[in-house]
Amino acid sequence: MAKNFFEIKNVDFNISGKTKVKNVSFSIENEGDVVCLLGPSGIGKTTILRTIAGLEKINKGFIKLNGKTLSSEKINVEPENRNVSLAFQDNSLFPHYTVEKNILLGSDRNKDKSGKKISLKEIVDLLDIFHILNKYPHEISAGEAQRASLARSLITKPDLLLLDEPLSNVDQSFKEEIQVRLKKILSKLKITTIIVTHDSYEAFYLGSKCGIILDQQLKQFDDPYKVYHFPNSVEVVNFLNRGILIPAKVTGKNTLENWDLGTIEGNFIKEYPKGSNVQLLLQPEDLEHDDKSNLKLEVVDRKFRGTNFIYTLKTPSNTFIPVFVHSHHIHQHEVDEKFGIKRPIHIDHIVCF
Amino acid sequence: MRINFWYISSLIISTFVIIPILTVFSSFFEDTSNYYQILKETFLLEYISNSIILLTSVLILTFLIGTGAAYLVSFYKFPLSNFFKWALILSFAVPPYIYAYSLTAFFENYGTAYSIFKNLFGEGNYNTHIPKFDGMIGAILSLSFSLFAYVYILARASFLYQSQNFIDLGKNLGFTKFKTLYSIILPAARPAIVAGLSLVAMETLAEFGAVDFFSINTLTTGIYNSWITFDDLAFANQLSFFLLLFIFSLFILENLSRNRAKYHFNTRVDFKQKQKLQLSGSKSFLAFIFCFFIFFLSFLFPLSQMLYWTIKFPENLFDLQIIDLLINTLYLVFLSSFFLIIFALISNYGNRVSKNKILNILSTLSISGYAIPGVILAVAFITFIAWFDESVVKNLGFFSIKKIFIGSILGLVFVYFVRFYSLAFNGIKSGYEKINLSVDESSYLLGYSKRKTFMNIHIPFLRNSLLFVCILISLEIVRELPITLILRPFNFETFATSAYISASEDLLEAAAVPSLFLILIATSFIIVTSKYILKDNNG
Repeated sequence: MAKNFFEIKNVDFNISGKTKVKNVSFSIENEGDVVCLLGPSGIGKTTILRTIAGLEKINKGFIKLNGKTLSSEKINVEPENRNVSLAFQDNSLFPHYTVEKNILLGSDRNKDKSGKKISLKEIVDLLDIFHILNKYPHEISAGEAQRASLARSLITKPDLLLLDEPLSNVDQSFKEEIQVRLKKILSKLKITTIIVTHDSYEAFYLGSKCGIILDQQLKQFDDPYKVYHFPNSVEVVNFLNRGILIPAKVTGKNTLENWDLGTIEGNFIKEYPKGSNVQLLLQPEDLEHDDKSNLKLEVVDRKFRGTNFIYTLKTPSNTFIPVFVHSHHIHQHEVDEKFGIKRPIHIDHIVCF
Repeated sequence: MRINFWYISSLIISTFVIIPILTVFSSFFEDTSNYYQILKETFLLEYISNSIILLTSVLILTFLIGTGAAYLVSFYKFPLSNFFKWALILSFAVPPYIYAYSLTAFFENYGTAYSIFKNLFGEGNYNTHIPKFDGMIGAILSLSFSLFAYVYILARASFLYQSQNFIDLGKNLGFTKFKTLYSIILPAARPAIVAGLSLVAMETLAEFGAVDFFSINTLTTGIYNSWITFDDLAFANQLSFFLLLFIFSLFILENLSRNRAKYHFNTRVDFKQKQKLQLSGSKSFLAFIFCFFIFFLSFLFPLSQMLYWTIKFPENLFDLQIIDLLINTLYLVFLSSFFLIIFALISNYGNRVSKNKILNILSTLSISGYAIPGVILAVAFITFIAWFDESVVKNLGFFSIKKIFIGSILGLVFVYFVRFYSLAFNGIKSGYEKINLSVDESSYLLGYSKRKTFMNIHIPFLRNSLLFVCILISLEIVRELPITLILRPFNFETFATSAYISASEDLLEAAAVPSLFLILIATSFIIVTSKYILKDNNG
């Protein structure tokens, strides 16, 4: 069996004597992989990062990096001896040093390392922070401070980089650009990274694997595509806010029947015996608009989301179904109007619970 | 919790400081002499009533002067308002006992006031018309004018952080300026004002020089008499303990009366920088007169009096070994500041990194030395050394250690250390509170050890706080009297002891020279620190 570069096994993550996340196990196979942990605020994502960094201790399981045990019930390598860098959400720049000095303090650790190094110029260009180099932390915006903190972490060229909501304070307009740059540099320097975020799009873009933390547990740890399309529990569905669950009856190898929508076709990701009653996950992109269809539902709400509209439709059995329609679609429906749905309904991946 | 260098150092420092404080409290349970009985039958009631009168009057006066001046300079612009903002803290340079000498020198029969009248109007019987500020009134005035700055500084800082929204709200509700002051501004500054008044109360009860000079019989006198005349430290401790208990009870009551009211914002989101109002006409003149009057009475008056006498009796200048006094004073300042800063710094960092409850309790106890009158601490130290020498050192067959600690610079610096440790510890602690814990964590994650974090991250950050604390300690040590009097080596004088000795021998003119030098040194310390004491930013 191939050795994992990073591994967490059966660890309870505690802070101030309270267990935040229980019995977590996951691994990062290759050096340079990026993993994202997703979850609502206050769930314990930051506690996980602090523990991996050595700022909190564990009393069960182990954390290994590159074959070396960093934490276990008996072992606790001090944070300064781990070569693990954590960029805090609140940036934690040293207030009495300029941004440049802050970043250069990180480069001290980089000195004796072999392999690809990153220069101050490279990092400054990457994060577009040249204009703030001579400023003090209190003179820059929260977004700039977050980028400076990121620069300080990157320049240490750590064995493992931990980023806590790294772009939460960056302007939306600039966020995507930074995400692209960040992805590029992490891949170029082969820095193994764990990113904590509550932004699923950021996690899906940056991570080669995503973990979903809910109800004190790591609910799912998988490729972003699978997390998105094949959620393994109702909790993950609800967290990702990816549609609704409607009752249905399995009628064949590739078909189900719903009281309001009729026959639904597609590929089951898991086999169910014919005749079994299930909860079908219906996502907004699963249904298509068709004015000519005889399956018409009442529009109760319409949200404009730039590239698309999200219609909320009411079924005869009082279920509310979300449907995406491209915003360039010529025929817009008002509330109380009837909205036609194309039949037969086909769903690529049928997810049931 | 890990036992490391920082934890051990912090533990040792705190324990070291606590020893004399514990000695004070342990003697509380010892048998007392018959002084209590004598006192109860004679002057106890008078002592108590005098103490209450002195304390209450000083608290009222310092509240009125300190809060009034702080309100004017914080909310209004008037001629020299920016000058008064810092000039009013110069009163710290004049200890109550020197103020007392000035007051007496000016108003006594044939004193400075008499000379002024004589020079202006010729010979006359002016003595009967010149008011006499001695006795209780003299003590009240001396203490009030030298201590009001505690209330002034804290009230001003609190006013400074009050948002313009408060004032706007008052206007919006149709309040007059006076109503805005007493129903919005003062209640919001209540914790700061009470903190200032509590310092005034502790200083008043610990005051030795001025009370002694005016021969006011207060409980403080009882404390001194029980020790000096009856050699009864236990009863002296009991008296001071009850005195402190009385003050703490008052402040605990005040605290409870606040109920759940909050006096600060959690975030600075709601903060709106205040715009000072430009006063004009008679209001501007009255504000100027009020501040000038306070500045004159608290600083210019004693300074001029001492300067006048120094010039009038220049022989005193040459009689005194000024250079020796200066060297002695600065030597004590340097030694004490050095040890206080180093140890308070290590102790603070030890507390920060070990997050240990026992250490936390010890640190809290170790800073209580400031609340114990200097004379009590000095005597407790002597008692402890004597006990330790008899019971431990001699039993182990070693030479007596009394000479090393009693009547020596080492002992003197040690007791200064205990007395002013809270200043150093709290000053550095308030600097540390501005360093988020995640800054330490970031440093560890950058590969810095605890020692390197301390040296490379914390020390540069705390540089300003350290300077401020250093000068604050220096100021206290320059002014300190009772501990120096009791514990100084033979023939070792400072400006403070020299002034006291001359004054106690009724040679007020001779006391003027050391007093003047003391005021000048203290003033220079205050000027250096004024920008830290009177921070105008909101950070």
